[in-house]
Amino acid sequence: MGAEGKARIREFILDNITETELADDDDIFERGLVRSMFVMQLVVFVEQEFGVQVTGDDLRFEHFRSVDRVDELVARKLAAV
Amino acid sequence: MRAVRVALADPVPDGLAGELAKRLFFVSSAIAEFDLVAAGGVITGVDLVLSGDESESAIAAKIGKVVTAEVLTQRALPPRQVWRSAISVESFTDPFPLLLAADSAFVAGEGQVGFGEPVLSLVDYLDERLRSIALALPRSREFRYPTLLPTSVLDRFGYFGSFPQFAMFVTRLHNDIDVYNGFVDRYRAAGRLPDDLFDQCGDKEYCLPPTMCYHTYHQYTGRRLADEMVVTARGKSFRYESRYHTSMERLWDFTIREIVFLGGESFATECRDSVMAQAYALLEELGLAGHCEVANDPFFGNPDTAGKILSQRMLELKFELRVPVAEDRTIAVGSFNLHGQFFGESFDITGSDAAPVASGCVGFGLERLAYAFLCQHGTDPAGWPTSVTDRIGDPGAARP
Repeated sequence: MGAEGKARIREFILDNITETELADDDDIFERGLVRSMFVMQLVVFVEQEFGVQVTGDDLRFEHFRSVDRVDELVARKLAAV
Repeated sequence: MRAVRVALADPVPDGLAGELAKRLFFVSSAIAEFDLVAAGGVITGVDLVLSGDESESAIAAKIGKVVTAEVLTQRALPPRQVWRSAISVESFTDPFPLLLAADSAFVAGEGQVGFGEPVLSLVDYLDERLRSIALALPRSREFRYPTLLPTSVLDRFGYFGSFPQFAMFVTRLHNDIDVYNGFVDRYRAAGRLPDDLFDQCGDKEYCLPPTMCYHTYHQYTGRRLADEMVVTARGKSFRYESRYHTSMERLWDFTIREIVFLGGESFATECRDSVMAQAYALLEELGLAGHCEVANDPFFGNPDTAGKILSQRMLELKFELRVPVAEDRTIAVGSFNLHGQFFGESFDITGSDAAPVASGCVGFGLERLAYAFLCQHGTDPAGWPTSVTDRIGDPGAARP
């Protein structure tokens, strides 16, 4: 993944929060930008947007805390396809 | 009664079969019995026994709706056990028929069981042990709460939107002389309660508490706590469990020993971890097999169900202590929960820094714990571990 993938992830998160700016390493849960339930939307977004399956041990909260973390998960999943 | 098979439009993965099974009796009151139909590693349909007049197609549509909205949207996380008892069970007893035959238990209604010795002494002993664990925690105090809980308390944090299936309301004839007179006239004329009884019972200020900790948040609403604290309470708790009620395993009307932690996140976590460790030790002292695993609350009937379950499991906010009651079945006898600032914010409970407190709670189902004990040790105290009988003496066996 690269800048383009991160941009898609960042855009999706920005569409769902009231803030207009987001750093790639911002912990969106710890900063209180979204409720914990938002992780479900992120899982579904990653699967649909990048065509990967997020299952089992991928379903860990730390993979979804920031744009950077989601990007790393997607890169790892795409590399395994 | 009619037997029908409903095919599922989209098969349910085997890993989510339990999530389907725990919802079916809430889908329609017409469903009297069900069996999941499995083929090729997925659930393809449901065999139903139906009562009443509701059409099969209407019930099939309701099942389809729940499967689509609340089951298939879920992500099955691999089970994660965090503790396992060193004790294994050699054989199980099915204690309920023995207790009934010996007049040690009495079925008072759906999900309602009365009990006497030796269960009574066992339940009291288990509660005393758990109470001691609670009272040894920092700045701990005990309360006894009224049974009724204002509905506004549950309303305050959205309970009814998450668990509408469990709520049990308390009402009465509306206090108005015309209502009383009209009611008495009709009751005497018909010799029975009118079918439209609840049209005259509009008052809905109170409900039955689904657990004890809500009384505690209610108690401290709007208060600034001088220090972190622990509250414990034992009380009757009520959840409408539809046809899922089973012997003393799953009751509509049961008793919880609850321990609530109010303070910083680390205080709540440390208290919860301490109770978990002591509960494990108690289980082994009681000679019980069991384990503790990551769990989730039974959210139902709302579009957020899958998201709530997934986030709760991923954050590992809930653990259940599960004890086997048969070769192929375990029941949860306790749960250990962290809530973040959810209840602190919902009830405006603040700490010395004026910020909302974090909370956690632990609840033990006393009838369930006692029942699991009887399943593993039998109904005769002569066969119970001496660690128990030395403390409670001889309560008398369940004898016909």
